[in-house]
Amino acid sequence: MREMINFTIDGRKVKAKPGETILNVARREGIYIPTMCYLEKTTPAASCRLCVVEAEGVDGMVLSCQTPPTEGLSVVTNNATLYEERTNIMRLYDVNHPLECGVCDKSGACDLQNKTMEFNVASQHFTAKEQSRKIEHWGLINYDPNLCIMCEKCTHVCNEVIGDDAIELKFGGYKSTIIPKNSEQLDCTYCGECIAVCPVGALVSSDFQYKANAWELERIPSTCAHCSAGCALEYEVKTTGAAVPGEERIFRVTNNFEYATLCGAGRFGYDFDLKGEKDADAFARAVSALKHAEAIRFSSIITNEEALILQRLKEKLGLKLYNEDARRYMAFVEAFGSTADGKAEPATLDALKASDAIVVVGSRIATDNPGIRYAVTTAARHEGAKVVYMHPLEDTLMQNVVTQFIKYEVGTEEGVLALLAQSLLADVETNKTTAAFLDELDDGYLSAESNVGEEELEQIKKQFKRAKAKTLVLGSDLFAHPRAQNIAKLAGLLARFGGYRVVIAAREVNTVGASLVCELDADNGSDANVVGYNAQGSFVIAADAKADLVVAAMNQQEGTVVSIDRHLLPMNVAVGYEGYVLNDLANTLGVGKRYTIDFTAELPTEKGFRAVPFDMLENFYSPTGEDHRGYLLAKVKKPAAQKCEVPEALPEFNGTVIYRCNPVLQFNALTARTSQLERSDALRGSEQFAVAARLRDGDLVKIGEGDAAHSRAFVIDPALKGTIALEPTFDRGFAADGNVYRFEKVNIMKVSNDE
Amino acid sequence: MSKVYFSTWKSEQINNIGKSAEAWEESAYKLPMQYNEHEGAKAFIGWDGVALYDADVDVVRLATEYAAQYQVYSEACGRCAPGRWGGRILYDLLDKIARGEGSLSDMDHLKEVSRNMQLTSKCEIGKTVPNPLLDLMTHFEADFLACIDEQKPSKHYHEEVGYIAKITAPCTDACPAHVDIPAYIEGVRDLRFDDSLMATRQTMPLAHTCGRVCPHPCEDECRRTNLDEPIAIMELKRLGADYETDHGFGFFHPAEQKPSTGKKVAVIGAGPAGLTTAYYLALEGVHCDVYEELPVLGGEVTVGVPEYRMPWDKYMKDIEAVRDLGVNFITNTRVTADMMRQFEAEYDAVMVATGTRISKKVRCANERPEIFGYWGAIDFLDKVNLYVKFGITLTEEEKKEYMIDKEYVDLTGKTVVCVGGGFTSMDVVRCSIRAGAKRVVMLYRRDEKTIIRNTTYEEYHEAVEEGVEFIFHSAVNEMKDENDILKSLIVDKFELVPDPNGGRPQLVKIEGASFEIECDYLIPAVSQSADLDLLPEEWELEMTSWATIKTNGKDYMTSRKGIFASGDCEYGPMTIVNAVGQAKRASSVMARYVQTGEITLSDDEIMEDQLRKMRVYDKKEKVTGWLPGLPRAHSEVLDVDIRKENNMEVNFGFTQEQAISEAERCMRCYYIAMVAN
Repeated sequence: MREMINFTIDGRKVKAKPGETILNVARREGIYIPTMCYLEKTTPAASCRLCVVEAEGVDGMVLSCQTPPTEGLSVVTNNATLYEERTNIMRLYDVNHPLECGVCDKSGACDLQNKTMEFNVASQHFTAKEQSRKIEHWGLINYDPNLCIMCEKCTHVCNEVIGDDAIELKFGGYKSTIIPKNSEQLDCTYCGECIAVCPVGALVSSDFQYKANAWELERIPSTCAHCSAGCALEYEVKTTGAAVPGEERIFRVTNNFEYATLCGAGRFGYDFDLKGEKDADAFARAVSALKHAEAIRFSSIITNEEALILQRLKEKLGLKLYNEDARRYMAFVEAFGSTADGKAEPATLDALKASDAIVVVGSRIATDNPGIRYAVTTAARHEGAKVVYMHPLEDTLMQNVVTQFIKYEVGTEEGVLALLAQSLLADVETNKTTAAFLDELDDGYLSAESNVGEEELEQIKKQFKRAKAKTLVLGSDLFAHPRAQNIAKLAGLLARFGGYRVVIAAREVNTVGASLVCELDADNGSDANVVGYNAQGSFVIAADAKADLVVAAMNQQEGTVVSIDRHLLPMNVAVGYEGYVLNDLANTLGVGKRYTIDFTAELPTEKGFRAVPFDMLENFYSPTGEDHRGYLLAKVKKPAAQKCEVPEALPEFNGTVIYRCNPVLQFNALTARTSQLERSDALRGSEQFAVAARLRDGDLVKIGEGDAAHSRAFVIDPALKGTIALEPTFDRGFAADGNVYRFEKVNIMKVSNDE
Repeated sequence: MSKVYFSTWKSEQINNIGKSAEAWEESAYKLPMQYNEHEGAKAFIGWDGVALYDADVDVVRLATEYAAQYQVYSEACGRCAPGRWGGRILYDLLDKIARGEGSLSDMDHLKEVSRNMQLTSKCEIGKTVPNPLLDLMTHFEADFLACIDEQKPSKHYHEEVGYIAKITAPCTDACPAHVDIPAYIEGVRDLRFDDSLMATRQTMPLAHTCGRVCPHPCEDECRRTNLDEPIAIMELKRLGADYETDHGFGFFHPAEQKPSTGKKVAVIGAGPAGLTTAYYLALEGVHCDVYEELPVLGGEVTVGVPEYRMPWDKYMKDIEAVRDLGVNFITNTRVTADMMRQFEAEYDAVMVATGTRISKKVRCANERPEIFGYWGAIDFLDKVNLYVKFGITLTEEEKKEYMIDKEYVDLTGKTVVCVGGGFTSMDVVRCSIRAGAKRVVMLYRRDEKTIIRNTTYEEYHEAVEEGVEFIFHSAVNEMKDENDILKSLIVDKFELVPDPNGGRPQLVKIEGASFEIECDYLIPAVSQSADLDLLPEEWELEMTSWATIKTNGKDYMTSRKGIFASGDCEYGPMTIVNAVGQAKRASSVMARYVQTGEITLSDDEIMEDQLRKMRVYDKKEKVTGWLPGLPRAHSEVLDVDIRKENNMEVNFGFTQEQAISEAERCMRCYYIAMVAN
């Protein structure tokens, strides 16, 4: 163990942990050192130079953001000399900075404004030749180089946290600027994190630009509704100024970019709220439908409170409750726990970020769960993590973090996990049963069928030789796999004996919560007498204008969800909703409460929830980054131990195979109806796929047969390889697909262009 | 040493203003005096002062142009607020004064901005650009004030004056390949490993290799040494190379390959010098055929440097990067004099890069190569490495010649004595340990300190840990054999006797201290010489006194036009990075030569040589603005008990955390130097 370093800042005795810089310690201790370019979650850009401090015995000024202290050092953070040089830096920053604060989006929340005021720079002290530079329009993002102060936060976050590495600095002294990397036009996943971190108005949302001033917007802290990563965000709504009463809407989404990260769906896909009014007839039909229903089917895009209402309705009305996504997730988690022994607690994204060895199996993770992708990127960059990505489809988005891609045959996931367990546990001590089990595995057969070779497995071991923090990420391909339980149990062995922490990448925003709150029944697939709640049924109650009864969307409700971190997170009302909500139905049926959030304190404690009322939940990050959002669910007792089964014959998928997978930033019915996100709803295949399926770019195709048949355009995606096409699901409404394995062998017919 | 009119270089105060040229006092430094190939310079201005060689220099314009160079040339910069805006302000204000529009307040602002830059800039370039400007403004204040008072341009403002500038750094200057070290370290610090690798590859194609086995002369001239310890420059190079390899990217070349020029060059030898020549010529659109005598590519790094120091799969990546540019490799082909004659006719130029592959003798009594057990280091390492890296086994004849039963070099139960003290001898003894030798002895004429200086601290200590016996101040006197089979050695001991006259201490044999070592093998690894049978006799190429090919050490052309030489066959046995540096320069000269038929050096190359002569690093300089006492990172190495039995790579390289913190110690000591005509 390396020791703490004792030193003083402004006379105060402080301690630095190994790896901490002077600035880190100062911030932790609440000592102010000004910065313009420092971003907590990336390596220091060291460009602004404002954070210089003086150190005893050292001539000149020392940069606090990248200098760790030495034992006994005495640091001074402010004095007349430092103040003067910092003032001079601010004078430089203000040279020729366009005086357009009146119309700049950033005005009022601008670091340059704030620091200019702080250092009393009231006029332009130095002069330099002005340069006129073109404003760039990069789709959802606009870049004005005239406003850019070259702090480099955007390039750092894009490369170190997101992984797109899509922008870079073009060096050139005074002419330095930010440019798209390796392309003319910005080619990225449009997470918009560069906008978030920009301290000035250089990088702005093209949609938001000139719409409102920062001080006119009210910020409503909430949690993103699009995937299970549980990212913190703030909906910004306009309540003053030119806002039209009754026309309230979300103007933009921002995030605490110092400590949290948001993908483009969270940032730009926010306007999925609905207008609603109280439709008494529809309400009465809904009550009747529920009374006569055999079952309620619901999706995991739901709050815990709503899920609890559904559970109460089940109990009261004797209904069945269907949610295959949550049910299969729960079964998977339990099976995992049955072999993982005490190590059943899923790993958090923070643990993933700190990993130096990562295996991802069964997910196209960059689009399935950007939160996990960003954690993997962070680990790859900051920890030098070796990342093994195992999937039938290579993903170019992951190339710069993945150190080994292993392609396995569709359907052979059970064999893949068995081989992983056998190989990675070969040199560790297990127990008698496990050793016997691993010994019994027919690696020759498994390798041949899954196409995962011995050399590839050896390469993983070689890469992980020095690993100290290993994490296994299991994706949603696995949960609906016919052999899901055994796959989970095999993963459990890696957790128990291999020292792997395991992230189980739940599909939807509240798959985890729904699986804990509800007692779910196996869905037989029939819609007869089934009330769908944001799901298919003979009567549909949904946050969808076309539903039989329209209810509030996720950004129009108070409530909580549980992320993959087992973290209960609050959501708040960004835009009001005048129509009915589930609690109104519950009240009519005798299980309701005054407000939906009155259910928060009643969430089942035996599943790890706490009896805390909604209004007592916090929802913020502290200035030094402690997460004060909701609470972490308590550990639950471990499931009874079970044994792994030796995989029998592995399935084969020959012919035309599709993979259900959404394009970047699209997730579900909510993202599908937002205005800024691109909606590419085509079937995407590689050049090779097109040749094999005899299709050309732009052909209209019929996918599947019978009731399931539907048509789409086919496009060739040059980034894809191999013979599997990607079919989106986001545009299929609330159709539940949590009960099917994501790969499917289908017939694809070209629809004649003459028809 | 340099005749100057005026100089403030490194705070010297030489002022010959008004004196006749004969009475001029000389500067104490070897200042750059050359403007380009044809002209002398009239002034030199740089990070630590300014020197004028002529009374007629327009100092106001000189200052303006230096600031302009900082603006124009600063492709390495624009990355901190003081440098970015401050540099522009310096230039704008100086130009304003120079063109006759300045005011007195401009002088104040110049001083104010200068101080801010000196104190807070990110790299030394920003911190030092104001230094000579302030010198000029102080010593030639009258010239500046005249422009301001009279509102008239400086004396040569509207005339054509040439200025040639170059960015350098102490480490870059010290590196024989002049690698842009601060840039590749910045790439690591910024976690932009692709940028890091491309910075390295600008002048050094063998990033994996020189991230592992470079003796890093740069670290001896790292300015951080003045503060605490040098940066671990060498190892940080690995990160960029590993990034490219680990992620299966294509190759990050430093520039786009130019379209084919239709010219072609023959390169003899696929070692570091040959590979480097081919790489940079190929980038320039010149086709290269590389001829290699051995069945494998890579030269001495492949067959000389053992697997545990330089894993073949990594070196192969460096070679693949060269091949990626379309370079054609022809192996198993020993080039003869006849072929050379043919090459001269067929190719537009020829590079001889055949290294030094003949082991020199230890010069003892009875040193007869036919004695069994006498085994030249180069040959010994060939046999070890060809088996370890490629599975190439010994022939029946070789087994007999080396007295080995197995198909590979197995020294179980044998005693090996190596005479040496350099890298090659270290490789011999450590390979012998791995080959199972019972006892491995290294005889060295000088002491421990010298062996460390000649190799590295790590290399020596790792060898000791693995069980090599070092006998210092010793030399073989006589080989003893029975029927031509080596039995033992008589070894003399020496002591260092100080010279009473204050000269170098002399090694004097200690009478009666000689002893005998029983051994099976004597492996001479004292030095190597070049095998130059391929040179046609009638060419009468000029040779050095060490029997290597002679060039002027600047353009690397031999005494025969169109025939170039680089690497060990030119310099004598030296380092990989030396070979790379020579070949890089040679390839630049050759790329021009094949087009124009002329041998030229670019302005940048002339400046590079002048700066090296002057030396950029100043070990006496006091470093300010950096906190001392931050320790250098040391990477983990394979445990000695594991490593001595196998050929696994000994050095694990840095963890990411170590690499980042080590990169953050780098002070980015960039400087701009400029000459004027």
